[in-house]
Amino acid sequence: MRILGLLGDGDGRGAARLCQVAAQVTGMTGAGVMLLAGGRPQASVCTTDEVSSLIEEAQYTLGEGPCVDAHRLGEVVSEPDLVTAGASRWVSFSSRAVGAGARAVFGYPVRIGAGQLGALNLYRDRPGPLDDDEHANALVMADVAARAVLAAQAGAGLGGIGIDLEEDLFVWGAVHQAAGMVSVQLDIPVVDALVRLRAHAFLTDRLVSDVASDVVERRLAFGSDE
Amino acid sequence: MQHGTAWRIDRVGLRTTVGQTSEAGAVMLDQTLLVRSLVELADNLTDDFDIVDVLSLLSDRCVHALGVTAAGVLLAAPSGALRVVASSSDAMRTLELFQLQSDQGPCLDAYRTGQQVVNLDLAAVGSRWPRFAQRAAAEGFRSAHSFPMRLRRRTLGALNLLRSDPGPLDATAIAAAQALADIATIAILQHQIVIDAQTLNSQLSAALNSRIVIEQAKGKISQATGSDMDLAFRRMRNHARNHNQHLAELASGIAGGTIPPGSLDYLKPGD
Repeated sequence: MRILGLLGDGDGRGAARLCQVAAQVTGMTGAGVMLLAGGRPQASVCTTDEVSSLIEEAQYTLGEGPCVDAHRLGEVVSEPDLVTAGASRWVSFSSRAVGAGARAVFGYPVRIGAGQLGALNLYRDRPGPLDDDEHANALVMADVAARAVLAAQAGAGLGGIGIDLEEDLFVWGAVHQAAGMVSVQLDIPVVDALVRLRAHAFLTDRLVSDVASDVVERRLAFGSDE
Repeated sequence: MQHGTAWRIDRVGLRTTVGQTSEAGAVMLDQTLLVRSLVELADNLTDDFDIVDVLSLLSDRCVHALGVTAAGVLLAAPSGALRVVASSSDAMRTLELFQLQSDQGPCLDAYRTGQQVVNLDLAAVGSRWPRFAQRAAAEGFRSAHSFPMRLRRRTLGALNLLRSDPGPLDATAIAAAQALADIATIAILQHQIVIDAQTLNSQLSAALNSRIVIEQAKGKISQATGSDMDLAFRRMRNHARNHNQHLAELASGIAGGTIPPGSLDYLKPGD
């Protein structure tokens, strides 16, 4: 009931409010909701802050992290301390998340029945697990997120995205534009160009969307000698 | 004497109370079997349960736990036409089919009115349902009891119980039968929600994918023709219109490499 009250309060619109409430009722610093397909992030529904966006972006770039695992395994994924967990789990993701200011990260599957939509990601700027109440609230919020996304999609036209959802969804469009450009530059398929972009971002320790905007703005071109 | 046992199913806000009474002459309700049946029903409601399996289980458990002779379930198809989905015996199945064919009987009334039609002495309903009463008597049944499978204003079908005794079901057995029917109803509605959710999820995923493919095609056109993203998009949209193609289809051809990104129509002034 408290959650329902919170969702109704405040000025934030739909998805943004969802993420704010998710962070609030789970005692987290920030939260985000991502849609995933085929084991990879496909779109971001909402994030509460810069760090949450970076956590999503890092998982998008690297293809690893709590949301990717929560979605892939269909289970809650907890990492109460990214620092002491050492390098065993999500090597690249961990260093970026810690660098951005996250200390504990959690991924909750967003699904209805057997249908996996994506994941709710939660982070805290200090180490420690969720207590029982916070965990229960996180499960509820993941469920609310699934229902909210599908309810918004229910009004969509054929082949389209629901109007309310369309405003909120972020599909990393520039990354795909850049992949199209690189595919022409190198005469390779778009999928391979996407891999090259991600590899470049990884090697230069940058975010894939930053690399992509360099390509789109024509500050960076991929030559066959690269 | 009533000792209330209440099941509360919060998700749909439905409350069912099963009391315990023992009146001489009334049908014996086996409490242990009833509880076990409820647990068993709930246990079968996994993510991908089979509706026919669950309703067959419901029919069998009604016979055992409520002490009736036969039980069966009629369910409405999306078109509204009723179908026999489960029955505990062949005689029951025959009789349910007969009700549908002759368009008369207690099950149809329970479904149409959304109300229980119980404690019918079949010897006394000859004028109401002449053909049904005759047929049921021929199969050895003496009383009929039908329960709507209903949640709020929506009725999905009916659960039907027949006994070879003419006597009434006591209040406890009636409440228990309705509880079993309610659980099956919720299960079916939940199942429908899951199926709908999966359809919506695939549609959303496909729509997102075509959005992504359009961005990729814009990038290819932009690189191949030296235009910015906005111009690339307008050229693609113009070309799709000229050739009566869907934008998503054209984009997919360009991104996938079957349509050269430099081969699109030029924009005419004003396009």
